[in-house]
Amino acid sequence: MDDQTFTCVVISDFNVDNAVGYLSNSPERPLVQATAAPFGQVIQVLMDDSMECWKHRPEMAIIWTQPHAVIESFRQLHDHKTVSLETILKEVDSYASVLMRVTHRVKCAIVPSWVVPASQRASSMQDMKHECGIANILMRMNLRLAEHLDQAPNMHLLNAQKWIEASGQRAVNPKLWYMAKVPFGNEVFREAAKDVKAVLRGIHGQAKKLILLDLDETLWGGTVGETGWERLLLGGHDPVGEAFVDFQQALKALSHRGILLGVVSKNQEDVALEAIEKHPEMVLRTKDLAGWKINWQDKAQNVVDLVSELNLGLQSVVFLDDNPLERARVREALPEVLVPEWPDDPMLYRQALFGLSCFDAPSVSQEDRERTQMYVTERERTRLKTRVGSLDEWLQTLEMMVKIDELNSAHLPRAVQLLNKTNQMNLSTRRMTESELSAWADRPDRRVWTVHVSDKFGSSGLTGLVSVEVREEIGTIVDYLLSCRVMGRKVEETMLAVAIQYLQSRSVTNIVAHYRPTKNNAPILEFWKRSGLRYDEATNAFHWDPDRSYPVPPQITLKVDAVTPGRPDQLETVRS
Amino acid sequence: MPIGRIERIERAVFRAIDEINEARAREQRLEKSSDTVLMGESGRLDSLGLVNLVVAVEEQVAEEFGVTINIADTRARLQTANPYQTVSSLVEYIASILARDPNG
Repeated sequence: MDDQTFTCVVISDFNVDNAVGYLSNSPERPLVQATAAPFGQVIQVLMDDSMECWKHRPEMAIIWTQPHAVIESFRQLHDHKTVSLETILKEVDSYASVLMRVTHRVKCAIVPSWVVPASQRASSMQDMKHECGIANILMRMNLRLAEHLDQAPNMHLLNAQKWIEASGQRAVNPKLWYMAKVPFGNEVFREAAKDVKAVLRGIHGQAKKLILLDLDETLWGGTVGETGWERLLLGGHDPVGEAFVDFQQALKALSHRGILLGVVSKNQEDVALEAIEKHPEMVLRTKDLAGWKINWQDKAQNVVDLVSELNLGLQSVVFLDDNPLERARVREALPEVLVPEWPDDPMLYRQALFGLSCFDAPSVSQEDRERTQMYVTERERTRLKTRVGSLDEWLQTLEMMVKIDELNSAHLPRAVQLLNKTNQMNLSTRRMTESELSAWADRPDRRVWTVHVSDKFGSSGLTGLVSVEVREEIGTIVDYLLSCRVMGRKVEETMLAVAIQYLQSRSVTNIVAHYRPTKNNAPILEFWKRSGLRYDEATNAFHWDPDRSYPVPPQITLKVDAVTPGRPDQLETVRS
Repeated sequence: MPIGRIERIERAVFRAIDEINEARAREQRLEKSSDTVLMGESGRLDSLGLVNLVVAVEEQVAEEFGVTINIADTRARLQTANPYQTVSSLVEYIASILARDPNG
């Protein structure tokens, strides 16, 4: 996605040329090529498919309006006339129904929330008054709008108030309004462009997934190797100690959203781990860490090794270190890794962390919330593996269970997340939004299954996806992707068995799968070459004779959700 | 007018140019030079570009000198020579405003 440029139309009641300028000329990835729809014609542009701005089929739309410009009753309220809340909300409902028309024209639509900067309304005791204060009503309007937009997975309501606050006194400049009909200062558009790009990264699975942290002077004050854990500056009645605790709490909160945490530190491992486990004010313990590399080696190498162990890509990583030399080293050696400048003052750490707009995701799934736990249980599995002899014996002891579900709305966000971020074990590397995948699956000749893996240590969650299509008696395995964290446990073979047995039940004359090579997906080719399917290198296609059986591996207990919508009768046939 | 003040004004104008360049296409960016033509036939600023520059310059001058100035008032329009013609004419115009301001 790094080199991809997204086309975008910005629709507004005010002059959005400055917003267009920031979106189109910011070097931050992904690049955006934005144009402004005709000024002040929001409803016409939303209603009329034939308008010029839709002709080039923009991938994205931003619909940014001022509340008094599109909600007439709010304008009256703004003029301190009496208007009922019900009237205003009805108008919001009507406006939202017009907004929803855009969902079919673009892959992604962004709607900044309505704001009226404090400098543009008379300060008054009435501002927050129940059902009549301007600020009170504005909140209700935004909540109502959020309810509507939540119905469309490709519409995203962004908090514009955050941009106003970040811009401080420069949020509004009356001169810009009177001379150019621009209601916000350019700081606001700069902040907005940053958030829009974060959304694009999020919906395309490019958000950062792992924060690698230094220890001394980053997670705590002091050098543990010199002072021992008892004398570290962490918590207590000390402003800096308190700031370190707050920073750790902020990191832990991110981990609840699915961001993994790891440690890369130059220290003696047992000393550092003792501090992590024993210091009474540590918020982050080893159970909160996906992994660590604590030694005296080069940090850049440690980053590479840890990221590889966690089966992630370097482009997923943020590296935080108080030491500018270490930051420079990692930045230079690993340009894919995000190494933000870091404040000297620990009291600014939490703010700096929240300022990183690289963790945005359109939704947070249960798998996201439990991701750290999955890595912790993986550590347990690996320990067991070293004690057990053969691979088969190990798999038997794991008590592996694979559950197959038809794609459904509950799993759609996670399925799309997996589809968009899986690089290595991905046969066709199709990237799709929720609405695109949902639309693709919504045909009788196609099936999409999600794959859920668990074992005696716990659940790895939704970790795979397979889709098939039957056309003219040819059965095609279209998507086949699996999270690297369950690789090598016969889940790969099970997924193939599910797809092949289903296609056999549809009486196809050939079963085929097309491998689309990318710079990252060599591992899946290796598996498919070992899978037993015939590989035609010239066409990058794999073939299977439908008359030959492809059983589910004996180490796997397969569970097919019999109540899934679609064709449960045929899914039953895939049981081994 | 001490020479230091002109340099400080120019520095503020250059910071304003940096700011507005962020939202401009590479080929439309303004060069940070006193000879840079802002308006007119060979100028790169359209009307919105000029408004953005005016706003950014006023903010940067406020930051540099701690005073609020208005460089888009009627006096600017009444000048015989367009004060927005080049960076140097803009700097001179700002200097003349600051010279009138006892705090400037």
